[in-house]
Amino acid sequence: MKMKMDFVSSVKLNGKTQKKKINYILGKVKDGSILVLDGVMKPEEEMDLIKETMRRVDNGFPGIEVCSLKKQTKGFKHVFELLSDRREKFWNWLRRKPYETDLKTGMTLIGPAKIIKKIKKNPDSFSVLAEV
Amino acid sequence: MVFGRIINWIRNYFRLKNDIRLGIYGCTNVGKTTLANKMSLNFTGEELGKVSNIPHETRFVQKKEKVILESNGKKISLNIIDMPGLATKIDYRKFLKYKIKKKDAKKRAQEATQGIIEAIKWLNNVDTVLAVMDSTKDPLTQVNITLLGNLEAKNIPVILVANKTDLKKSNPDQIREAFPQYPVVDISALKGSNLDQLYEAIIKHARKAK
Repeated sequence: MKMKMDFVSSVKLNGKTQKKKINYILGKVKDGSILVLDGVMKPEEEMDLIKETMRRVDNGFPGIEVCSLKKQTKGFKHVFELLSDRREKFWNWLRRKPYETDLKTGMTLIGPAKIIKKIKKNPDSFSVLAEV
Repeated sequence: MVFGRIINWIRNYFRLKNDIRLGIYGCTNVGKTTLANKMSLNFTGEELGKVSNIPHETRFVQKKEKVILESNGKKISLNIIDMPGLATKIDYRKFLKYKIKKKDAKKRAQEATQGIIEAIKWLNNVDTVLAVMDSTKDPLTQVNITLLGNLEAKNIPVILVANKTDLKKSNPDQIREAFPQYPVVDISALKGSNLDQLYEAIIKHARKAK
């Protein structure tokens, strides 16, 4: 039995629209790959990933397992991050471009639910049980 | 007559505006519909939806409008919206274990995916959220984290409901430890215990979305 893992740099997805990011991720995962990203998506993007996954669920693809570890920002850094998000949104709105964002600092694992049986998450680590 | 209709329309419009849309969210089988039923039964005398131990029993958004919730002499008008359980995967084969025919299991899975999409769309239309969690299980799931992250980004008030406290394995403190920034109320929706405290929390925290 073989299992494919793709380790993807955030550079690959940074600056892409949400739709393009989700298409890229689901394309890989639907092909059977487990994807490891060196970054995390925004919660809104993650929710859209779930929504888009549901649209693509069929008899051969029951969905995904996803787990992310985000570097928590506090105080001034948190405020700066929020302001930077708003600035990005505003800038994209001005240019009339679809919303493009960069991945935040952290790590995400996304894989097919057919292969990944369980993810045990702790605040700063997670372990994955996969069965091929 | 026309004038009367216009007055009624204006009245209803403003009444609707004043009702707080309370979304009940969470993973599957955490007791969202059991809770929605209890709340609805307590204040309107009617239940809202069917409950079962088969995952994805609620596959459509269910609403109960104009529920006047009362606690400690304070009143609040709610539209209770019971959402299908959120999940990142739905495998029709899981339903076969519950003696559901293959054809029905596939239909159930398809309806469940649509239900999840609907529930996610509703995030833009709720004012306050009860995030229900099963207190016998690990709350640190990606679905819970993503849900709470979205509510925070949208500035929607949220109350965490640690359900199933009637079970031996229940450990509501793990929910408090996992999400210390949110108010947590321990309840058993099945037994109806501690619901008064939940109603107080709703009255305290619920507000219209900005």
